[in-house]
Amino acid sequence: MLLWETLGTAWKALGASKLRTALTTLGMVIGVGAVVTMLAMGEGARAMIEGKIRSLGTNLLSVTPGAPTRGPVRTGSVETLTWDDARAIAELGEVALVSPESMSSAQVRYLARNMTSSVVGATASYLAVHSYDLTAGTAFSDNDLLARRRVAIIGANVARSLFGNLSPVGERIQIKGMSFKVLGVLEEKGNEGFFSPDDQVLVPLSTHQAALFGRDYLSSIALQVASEEATSRVETEIKRLLRLRHRLGASAEDDFDVRSQQEMLQVMGQVIGIFTALLGSVAAVSLLVGGIGIMNIMLVSVGERTREIGLRMAVGARRRNILLQFLVESVIVSVAGGLVGLGLGALGAAGVATVAGWPMVVPVYAVVLALATSFGVGLVFGVSPARRAARLDPVEALLHE
Amino acid sequence: METDGSSALTAQHLVKIYNPDRPELAVRAVDDVSFTVERGESVAIVGPSGGGKSTLMYMLGCLSRPTSGSYFIDGRDVARLGDDALAEVRNRHIGFVFQAANLLPRRTAVENVMLPLAYAGARGARERALEALERVGLAQRAAHRPNELSGGQLQRVAIARALVTRPSLLLCDEPTGALDSRTGREILDLLEALNREGTTLLMVTHDAAVARRMRRALRIGDGKLEADGPTGEVLDGAPARASDAGGG
Repeated sequence: MLLWETLGTAWKALGASKLRTALTTLGMVIGVGAVVTMLAMGEGARAMIEGKIRSLGTNLLSVTPGAPTRGPVRTGSVETLTWDDARAIAELGEVALVSPESMSSAQVRYLARNMTSSVVGATASYLAVHSYDLTAGTAFSDNDLLARRRVAIIGANVARSLFGNLSPVGERIQIKGMSFKVLGVLEEKGNEGFFSPDDQVLVPLSTHQAALFGRDYLSSIALQVASEEATSRVETEIKRLLRLRHRLGASAEDDFDVRSQQEMLQVMGQVIGIFTALLGSVAAVSLLVGGIGIMNIMLVSVGERTREIGLRMAVGARRRNILLQFLVESVIVSVAGGLVGLGLGALGAAGVATVAGWPMVVPVYAVVLALATSFGVGLVFGVSPARRAARLDPVEALLHE
Repeated sequence: METDGSSALTAQHLVKIYNPDRPELAVRAVDDVSFTVERGESVAIVGPSGGGKSTLMYMLGCLSRPTSGSYFIDGRDVARLGDDALAEVRNRHIGFVFQAANLLPRRTAVENVMLPLAYAGARGARERALEALERVGLAQRAAHRPNELSGGQLQRVAIARALVTRPSLLLCDEPTGALDSRTGREILDLLEALNREGTTLLMVTHDAAVARRMRRALRIGDGKLEADGPTGEVLDGAPARASDAGGG
């Protein structure tokens, strides 16, 4: 009975000035929408990374150079890993495949078209270790490496940018002014976090070191361990071997890092989580602004409806009836804004998911959080105007013009 | 102090002082007013503007509390009740008719009349509201909104709203003040008819012609009860009846 009267009054009051009500909800729409988008983006990125971890398997290790430090000062360079290190690792038991890699950035050109891409010096095992396939042409042979031939395998994006619809296999591209024959094209993989395998150009590691960039250290050594159980044993072996090879004393720190692919992706997941939290909390500030907007309009509404409040008191409304009336109105405005924001946030998340190529996930907790937050904001910011209304003196309220 | 409970209302030494805590600003708006209204009476409260009529009416309507004195409605002392209890007294025992109808603009006539019942938590609100509209002769306008009704009709809806909880006391504050004289007469006819049916009527007015429709009149001036008696005598300047005005 009284509930219907309260809801009916709220409905009529909010419907009386639709534009004002709509503008009042806007802060909540934007706030909740932004928070939901951020949370969904975080979840989408996480789901993508988890998918990668599953597809990569757990038996991949990556060795990267790391400079030793003395106090706060870096004393070494990152030029610590060599091809010989990779060959030595390949001699270890339980290591299936080793892929020494050297990555640089260079301009790649075909006729009048050019682009900047990652030029990766690789060996024949590169494709197998990273589970890349070719859509056209062939991979390097051992002879290509031995003879330091100027041949290349190009990523899907590189092929598209430089060749359009033409077949790149057999054509010659220019890397740093040198002519390379295209042997094959990599299949499209999509972004992998901060590195896009579709933008890379593979050349024989020997050619990369001798002809292109003139250096003999590696960016990383990727390797596949024979079995998953052996991974940690191999990790320990590699550390021992490299410390020995690099002549590190007992007190010296490692000048390299050994990590499983899984660990690296997990680190990336953590980074994404931090970004999500950061952006989400920025978005949450607009919830505060939205709440203040609601409070402002509710105060105006109490002022406008002072006589109505007086009349309601005269016909028997208790103070708590008046309090509840205005609280219900602010909560309705806030939750309505939250619902619209939830819808827009889901749309935004879907848009981002399409562009970024990860699954669209609006987690249940984000929905619950959005609704609970908008309810709470309506309640918290509605209390002060509602109390003001409920505390009005009946006589003064009735005499109010 | 006690009453036998048969009177509609009894005021004993009612005093209302505004700003009682600041002597330099204190105003004795109502000063030691005592009187009794029996059930079924019709009483006009008259007097000059600023004389304390309105302040007295707000106290009688339980919209404000007296600074001192006692006030009984249906034998119950309501002068010291809390806010919630006062709201309940207003809801159950008092019907207000103001100069302006004060209807909720986006509600139909019957919805406006139902409003007090919502706060009473009563069942069958719509039926009772329609009954009340029937009593004021507006049953056929039940579904109309205020902007579709004339001034007299608006005031009838307001009277129906005042009647719907079957209060023992109908408190009217210049109910015809905003109406033309013919419509005003119709409203007074209606109020008189309600009074004949047993509703106790209290009417604050500065209009002698309106006051003469009531059988008894109280004249308030300078916060004091200056005269109390049959309307004709009071309006023509007779002194207060010593038995009622002096109190104890």
